[in-house]
Amino acid sequence: MELANLQRRYLDFTSPLFHEGILDNQFTQLQQLQDESNPEFVLEVVTLFFDDSEKLLNELTRTLDQQVVDFKKVDAHVHQFKGSSASIGAQRVKNVCMAFRNYCEEMDQEGCLTCLQQLKQEYFLVKNKLETLFKLEQQIVAAGGSIPMMW
Amino acid sequence: MAALAISSCGRRALLVDDNVINRMVVRKLMEEQGIALEEAENGKKAVELVKEGRVFDLILMDREMLVMDGPQATKQLRSLGVTTPIVALSADAMQSDKDSFLQAGADDFVEKPLSIDKFALVLTKYGLQDGQAADQ
Repeated sequence: MELANLQRRYLDFTSPLFHEGILDNQFTQLQQLQDESNPEFVLEVVTLFFDDSEKLLNELTRTLDQQVVDFKKVDAHVHQFKGSSASIGAQRVKNVCMAFRNYCEEMDQEGCLTCLQQLKQEYFLVKNKLETLFKLEQQIVAAGGSIPMMW
Repeated sequence: MAALAISSCGRRALLVDDNVINRMVVRKLMEEQGIALEEAENGKKAVELVKEGRVFDLILMDREMLVMDGPQATKQLRSLGVTTPIVALSADAMQSDKDSFLQAGADDFVEKPLSIDKFALVLTKYGLQDGQAADQ
């Protein structure tokens, strides 16, 4: 019963992430690629995403804080962030990055700063959700069960 | 930077992409298919690999990269006589960007991120699905 409850909790937690657009089908693709030969593949990719993202957010904060903003540099960082977030299925993060790039092109510092705030919000939201998701997965595996899949 | 995964199936691909996370995902897709993969973090490194004599059955080429972008690298590879299929990868590219990439010599254009199904279609189209290397 405990395992069934954990699996139900997992599905109840995960399903809204897709409905609310926090995650998209690309995340499901990563889960489909995970197998016995690489049982931690999703965790490895997402951990790399977290490390990379936080470096980019620090760089973006620093670059936008300069008196004379190098918008090409900002755009390059946002481009990277957009690519990474799309690759792991962090849809809302990706969408903010797309808007952010438009402000970079217009060299609009205020617009960029607003997007940076939104980016931080969306990033930390998806990070929080994914960390909880991984904890639930660990609990299911520890209870001897398998992760129920969304596809 | 180049990394080569050894495979027993004889198919070899080159991934040209500056995003380390994108490369990790495509690496896994290639591993699943038993395709040996080399990676280059920009177009300049890709051209250098070819000049060193590396031969590939398929090249996946990202569009936006620092140092040398996808269309420039594609143009240079074609001018070196490379006839390997080059599949351009990009997210949210405008039609004009797609057109210029194809005019540079790319054979195809696929939207990023690369899904399992899209990847399978690319492999089938360029003869890598059944273990046969594409003609050069």
